[in-house]
Amino acid sequence: MALIRETPRYAYELIEALGKTGLLTTEGTLYPLLSRLRRDGLVKTEWRESTDGPPRRYYELTAEGRRALTAFKNEWMSFRGAVDGILQEGTKS
Amino acid sequence: MTAPHADQLIEGYIARLSAAAGDLPKNARQEFIDDMRSHIAEARAREPEETDAAVMNILDRLGEPATVVADARERLGIRLAQPYRPGVLEIAAVILVPFLWPVGVILLWISPAWNWRDKLIGTLVPPGGYIGLSYILLANATPGRSCGTITDQAGHIIRSSCTGPAELPGVLLVPLTILVLGSPLISAAYLAIRLRRGRGRQAAATA
Repeated sequence: MALIRETPRYAYELIEALGKTGLLTTEGTLYPLLSRLRRDGLVKTEWRESTDGPPRRYYELTAEGRRALTAFKNEWMSFRGAVDGILQEGTKS
Repeated sequence: MTAPHADQLIEGYIARLSAAAGDLPKNARQEFIDDMRSHIAEARAREPEETDAAVMNILDRLGEPATVVADARERLGIRLAQPYRPGVLEIAAVILVPFLWPVGVILLWISPAWNWRDKLIGTLVPPGGYIGLSYILLANATPGRSCGTITDQAGHIIRSSCTGPAELPGVLLVPLTILVLGSPLISAAYLAIRLRRGRGRQAAATA
């Protein structure tokens, strides 16, 4: 979701971006995830013409999606903080 | 471009995907397959030189159809259909449809074990079960045959006539009575058979 915060992207772009991070091993699983986000109203989609092929479906965050992303980010930060804390405790002792 | 089997590979993959996604809701399945197709088209367009191996790599990266569909099912909150086990409800329905029609029919329609056609047959053959049959027979019996004879003063018959429905020949009457009286039981037996068949079909589908 963070990948479409600034600018709408199409699924293949997302897969390429996630592929670089090594987070996505089974590319096909992104599509059910995207349709779920759309069903939940967190992203909206729009077909756009492409210069080199058939039209592409672009994904964009909705206001609700933005809120969910911020909430997740905060949760993740505190989770990461907690894990970091435990790991540092471990190295100290 | 040397990918002589590209289309074959892709269609094979899509076919396996569709088969695995058979239990997804129709529009979700269609969207999913369309997404996969456009993904494959995007990936192919990006290959500098398309070979069969390149196409196979694209499909590999997409994932095993069974894995991807399992993920989709989870995302959409769809559980694999559990086989329905007929129980007391169905047994009560089969017994009560002929003997206590309205109650039996309500149970019949509540139960998910039968399809629409079976439920209609159970409801309408015969309409009303034995209660309905006796009602129909009674209603037909009242305006029965009435015969009248006109005689002259000496007692000779001038004219004799009968009105009302003609009597059925005796040969037909016996099997027809058996059929009419037996029809609620035949109908109940049909429902019981369909119940067993349905279980067998479900078991085969989940195996």
